[in-house]
Amino acid sequence: MKASARQGWLLLLPALVMLVALFYLPQLLMFVVSLGRRSAYGTVVQDVSAGNYARAFEPLYLMVLGRSLVLATATTVLCLLIGYPVAWWLARRVAPKWRNALLVLVILPFWTSFLVRMYAWIVLLRSDGVVNAGLVAIGLPQVELLYNDFAVLLGQVYGELPFMMIPLYLSLEKLDPGLLEAAADLGAGFRESFRRVVVPQTMPGIVAGCVLVFIPSLGAYLAPDLLGGGRTAYIGNLIQSQFVVARDMPFGAALSFVLSLVVGLLLLLLRRSLQSAQSV
Amino acid sequence: MTAAGRRSLLASMLLTALSLVTYLFLYAPIIVLVALSFNRSRLSASWGGFTLDWYAKAASNPAILSSLRNSLIVAFATTVIASVAATAGALAFHRHRFRQRGLLEGLITIPTVAPEIVLATSMLLLFASAGLRLGFLTIILSHVAFTLSYAFVVVKARIAGFDHSLEEAAMDLGAGPVTTFFKVTLPAILPAVMAAALLVFALSIDDYVVTSFVAGVGATTLPLQIYSMVKSGISPEINAVSTVLLAATALLLFAAFLFEQGRSARTAALPALFGLALLGSPFVLAGPGTAGSQKVLNLYIWSNYIAPETIAKFEARHGVKVQVDLYDSNEALLAKLQAGNAGYDIIVPSDYSVQVLIAQHLLQPLDHSALPNMRNLDPGFLDRSYDHGNRYSVPYFWGTTGIAYDRTKVAAPVDSWSALWDPRYAGRVLMLDDAREAFGAALKLRGRSHNSTDPRLLEAARDDLLRQKALVRAYNSTNFEDVLLSGDVWLAQGWNGQFAKAMDENPNLVYVIPKEGSTLFIDNLAIPSDARNRELAHAFIDFTMEPEIAAEICRTMKYSSPNQAAWPLLPEAVRKHTAVFPPKEVLQRLELLEDLGDTTVLYDRLWTEVKSGR
Repeated sequence: MKASARQGWLLLLPALVMLVALFYLPQLLMFVVSLGRRSAYGTVVQDVSAGNYARAFEPLYLMVLGRSLVLATATTVLCLLIGYPVAWWLARRVAPKWRNALLVLVILPFWTSFLVRMYAWIVLLRSDGVVNAGLVAIGLPQVELLYNDFAVLLGQVYGELPFMMIPLYLSLEKLDPGLLEAAADLGAGFRESFRRVVVPQTMPGIVAGCVLVFIPSLGAYLAPDLLGGGRTAYIGNLIQSQFVVARDMPFGAALSFVLSLVVGLLLLLLRRSLQSAQSV
Repeated sequence: MTAAGRRSLLASMLLTALSLVTYLFLYAPIIVLVALSFNRSRLSASWGGFTLDWYAKAASNPAILSSLRNSLIVAFATTVIASVAATAGALAFHRHRFRQRGLLEGLITIPTVAPEIVLATSMLLLFASAGLRLGFLTIILSHVAFTLSYAFVVVKARIAGFDHSLEEAAMDLGAGPVTTFFKVTLPAILPAVMAAALLVFALSIDDYVVTSFVAGVGATTLPLQIYSMVKSGISPEINAVSTVLLAATALLLFAAFLFEQGRSARTAALPALFGLALLGSPFVLAGPGTAGSQKVLNLYIWSNYIAPETIAKFEARHGVKVQVDLYDSNEALLAKLQAGNAGYDIIVPSDYSVQVLIAQHLLQPLDHSALPNMRNLDPGFLDRSYDHGNRYSVPYFWGTTGIAYDRTKVAAPVDSWSALWDPRYAGRVLMLDDAREAFGAALKLRGRSHNSTDPRLLEAARDDLLRQKALVRAYNSTNFEDVLLSGDVWLAQGWNGQFAKAMDENPNLVYVIPKEGSTLFIDNLAIPSDARNRELAHAFIDFTMEPEIAAEICRTMKYSSPNQAAWPLLPEAVRKHTAVFPPKEVLQRLELLEDLGDTTVLYDRLWTEVKSGR
């Protein structure tokens, strides 16, 4: 169908043009930079060398990357475990007239500065903070909640949860109740119909949510710095510091391309496994 | 009730409980944020009683108001462009099965992969090479670039599986493509488009990293304003502004909700008008932008470095307008000047950045004959290593790095960096999250200069810092004074300006500059080489060095002034403040940080090793 093809391309054009001009072109410039080296004053000396990439694969930096992958995975899994039931509740238990309002309430906190909200978490979590005051009031011992891995994970889940919940909600809300009834009529228990009907039907939402949570989590730096007490280096902090502290743009660029490569490979794997799951 | 029925009731109750807990989780920090906007104390560590002062202050603070206005403009423009383009893109995939489907989808989703800082610098590279002047346009373009992919992913997840036959049926019944879109397609995907738009708005209005690189003259947004306050402590005015923004949004949503429920337009109009009035208030209160014919001086400065009343005096005297934009790190300043086209007339770089800027010919030589008030400055702050003869810069404020501690908790008086390595204070020590300052402390403890470049010395300092890590509660160079005030740590390395404010809150805090010596920093006024108002810039610099003006700046901002003619004009409380004006003999032990050239890379690697250690 010629008309449909032309229409498709026309619809796609604005997004493509903007991304090519405003993302791919600058990224190309960045790639050229990554082949250069830092001058004594922190500017870029153009060169064609893979030295920055060799350095990015040193054990020190691989370890940092590995830790970031673990953090991003943990964040994604937790967001999915919390987000799915809540999105289910929102899409299928709440009366329709409340749904939109409750969905918007998930995003509303994100209209204020993340930095200021992180400071608010510090007020909640610190030794004499609100949470500990509550614990002491009901006769429980005080616990150290701040400046550890727990706090980092909490901050990450807090910061990414809406990005998981929204796509999940959108695909769950669309789910046809008739399908569930049909499954029940055919004798499927809840578990069975969840696994065989609900999950496959909401797979686009699950994938979108996981992608939207996992990828930005890899670049996280605020929660590790503020809630984690800056005690651990993650790839986000490392790349950040190449640009704004060490002023080593070529190495920072190389690190970021290595990160993009890893993410790209992971997305490809995800796609493959989804396709093979669908063909079964 | 059957067993199964009871089980499903239980499950449903659990589900509701979990959902409520999740909402509480999302709103807990918002409750704190709002509560702090009513806190008399300017620091979050203590509750000083209820007040509405911060709202009044925010409403009369032109910098905060105009930054909020700028953020709203940027966020609205970004939301419209990104959501429309993303929805069209997502529909394209629905309408047509592209042969290159996987590739095209990848092209659109990949931008979510790039770390923000990389987007930021690459965008600056692009705009610099295109010769585009930094400002609103560059901010909006970059925001569109990084939010478009998010919006696309959200909308596409919804469209997947949307029944195409509905559209075909409408078409068969004689509806044109436009009617079909508005009557059939759009209603089906509207929730997704709305959700995407809300996300884009949230991403745009809170973006700091990208904006800080691509913002230009007159386009400081709220996040830039907030981050630039980090150095001097974020004031609860920000909480007040955030609360107003939340309230306005909530009111608008409430109006939309009423309308959706079929209430009369009149019922819904009241909250809607209230919400719009709140959102509109920064546009009215911020006053007019720069008038067309008036001469404008573009000042690029740290936050809380000059009071609005001081600016007003200069404007009145010279009949000009001063446009103030804010930054929060020397490195952001360097990046922007290196890219060129920034358009600033006056900047306030710290010592070592002056050195870097001079070396790259990014500063203009000063005309000393136009700066007669330079004679008011203390010679101790002139002719320093970074700019001999002050050919390019004059000192504006200075400060020190030291240790502040709570004397009710730390038994012995502290006078040495060794206190930060004392096992008695395990888990109660805070270090600056700053490679040069942390290594500086370790090097000074070994009796070395904090400008050392000898790799063996630096490795030894790294080992000291690794050893110290077991005692360190947190590395923090943003709100370290708050962590000290809250009692989470007893001793903290940090900069004097923030500690001075903390000491006003808690008289038990003591600030010391260790006997082994420490860092002196000097922030200077300078004129970029591409500045347009050379004469006016000189007039401004000279103005700030008048004794009365310098005293006013020092009194209102509470940083240490290098202007000795201003000292007698200062109130006792400022002049005698041990953190603002340390004793003269202490100053002898201070050393400036120098730009270390190639060794900077080694510092960064060793610091990463410290951070990666256990």
